[in-house]
Amino acid sequence: MLGSIITPDLFASALRMATPLALAAIGGTICERSGVVNIALEGIMLCGAFAGVAVTLAIGNPWLGIIAAMLAGVAIAAIHAFTSINLRSDQVVSGTAINILALGVTGFLMEIMYGHPGTTEAITTIKPIFRFASESGNSFLGTVWHWINTIFLSHTPIVYLTILIAVVAQWAMYNTRWGLRLRALGEHPRAVDTVGVSVLKGRWVAVLMSGALAGLAGANLTLEQVGSFTENMTNGRGFIALAANIFGRWTPMGSYEASLLFGFADALQIKLQIFRGQINIPSQFFLMLPYVLTVVVLAGVVGRAVGPASVGKPYEKG
Amino acid sequence: MSAEAEEPSTKRDWAAIAQKVGVPLASVLLAMIISSVIMWVSGYDPFAAFAALFRGSFGTPKAFGDTLLKSTPLILAGLGLAYGFRANLFNIGAEGQLFMGGLAVAWLGLLLAGQPWWITIPVLLLAAMLAGAAWAFIPAILKARIGAHEVITTMMFTYIARYLVSYLVIGPLKSPGQIPQTGLLPSESQLPRIQSLFSEATLQAMPFLKLGRAHTGIVVALVAAVVVWWLLKYTTLGYENRAVGYNPFAAETGGISVQWTIVKALCISGALAGLAGAVEVMGVHYRLFDQFSSGFGFTGIAVALLAKNHPIAVVPAALLFGAMAAGGGTMQLEANVPQKIILIVQALVIFFVAAEGIVTYFVRQRQKEATSHVG
Repeated sequence: MLGSIITPDLFASALRMATPLALAAIGGTICERSGVVNIALEGIMLCGAFAGVAVTLAIGNPWLGIIAAMLAGVAIAAIHAFTSINLRSDQVVSGTAINILALGVTGFLMEIMYGHPGTTEAITTIKPIFRFASESGNSFLGTVWHWINTIFLSHTPIVYLTILIAVVAQWAMYNTRWGLRLRALGEHPRAVDTVGVSVLKGRWVAVLMSGALAGLAGANLTLEQVGSFTENMTNGRGFIALAANIFGRWTPMGSYEASLLFGFADALQIKLQIFRGQINIPSQFFLMLPYVLTVVVLAGVVGRAVGPASVGKPYEKG
Repeated sequence: MSAEAEEPSTKRDWAAIAQKVGVPLASVLLAMIISSVIMWVSGYDPFAAFAALFRGSFGTPKAFGDTLLKSTPLILAGLGLAYGFRANLFNIGAEGQLFMGGLAVAWLGLLLAGQPWWITIPVLLLAAMLAGAAWAFIPAILKARIGAHEVITTMMFTYIARYLVSYLVIGPLKSPGQIPQTGLLPSESQLPRIQSLFSEATLQAMPFLKLGRAHTGIVVALVAAVVVWWLLKYTTLGYENRAVGYNPFAAETGGISVQWTIVKALCISGALAGLAGAVEVMGVHYRLFDQFSSGFGFTGIAVALLAKNHPIAVVPAALLFGAMAAGGGTMQLEANVPQKIILIVQALVIFFVAAEGIVTYFVRQRQKEATSHVG
């Protein structure tokens, strides 16, 4: 049985499942590094998921759907930026309001656009980029090729784009002026202000970037994975992404790696459900797995995680 | 976030209270205006919508009964959130603790069949509180010991609770039949409807008592509001809770164990959310199924914030959101507006209540304009 669980498509699925988490987690990393907590990732992702499907259904072009999802993410994130940076609201409260708003807006729009709640019509999902033939078991080399092909070469564009984003963001955070300023914004905004760089502008840019990334995460969910939108379909992924950001110690690559762990847990629980009859454990316990794992990870497999010093504190120009 | 209302003695205090009440009222008004614009843009008649909403929530004694029915769990969940907020803790996962409270009651209520009501009702309410507190305990310990953010952990526990309940009502606790739900609670474990307390003659004489489905759980909720108010204002427990919320470092220096206070605060918050689940099962459904709560734990967040975390103010705030929940159906039926608009109103209320800086923001903009004109 183990042989039928540990297969190349389990790892391929882990990589797919990790993608929306990683995008949102990197968004969360950038946002929190600038000093703004982003509990709203969940709602932003949901809006992105909806916008992607709505535009694809209307125009028939999923690429425009992706762009729409990112723009929707940016628009929602702008609300968070305005309330938490300009109005200096409690950032966690503002994020919560956005999560509720996202549920309301997507549900409301769904009913007035499609006339019913629940799930939208299906769209044609974006196909994997490469399609090489491979088969396992013919020869040793053939099997190796099959594993490589399935795990790494069977994916849709956003999956690869996410890896690229993680690498670039990691590099930029530690090797560019933008990265240095971003980190300083979250640690010591007064110092940034003193050298004549606008704290408000820096934080705005970071929050909007996180919105674009979380919106893209939503697009990946609907346009590449599921193929339709269902109310509240993000199902806590935004919160798991926040945990991945913490587990990844507020770095883009760390966030990506932590997301891989959560993605693997998700892939494993889906795979295990197929064998439910044989192992006789109810499916609900598998469905709990990613959430349990998130708590376990936060419980300090990693020990005490320390975030940016000024995260969550509104900045007032003195 | 932890504003404290003192006894009014002078005119100035009354002014302070007017200001405290003014901000929430203005927030609700603004939220209604903006949602009206949204409805109007979407091609609906906002006046017809709000009129239908009002009829469905206050129009008849039965409609008002429905408002009370929805407000009952909202008061309890809102109190839980408010108690946590006072210690600067955000129990965003109240919904999960509410599920566990409902679960405890649905399970234990069947076991206690045959006992008199004055034993079953207190035992069940207590069990629900314990279950809710237990579900908050691990996030509480993680917060106190290693600083794991309670927003993430309590949220995760909400998903776990949902899947647990969904499994139990399909599996071990399922009553015979097609529908995945637990068995019907015996009548001695049910919270009676308010109108059932009065004789037919009294109801004929006083028709405003015909409150339909409203149940005596509202008494539990109102008592809880007073108890939480008393706890916060007059007990050491409440004092420590507020002190940790204001400034944990100062509290620690003053000899208060911050870690222990955090654990107590989240568990009490969870206990109140558990009670919310209990009244929903004992007063409305008399059994458990996986959709038994319509997000009361989440709406409780808006209730607490609108009440500025004052336990007594939680009651009118819960009535407002309870009325929206009760009248939403009528609004959808008569004005065709999707009920989801209520979530939008809720979110807008939270934005405005939270944006205390909104006034200072516009004042600063003005000043900026003024100086730029001078320059």
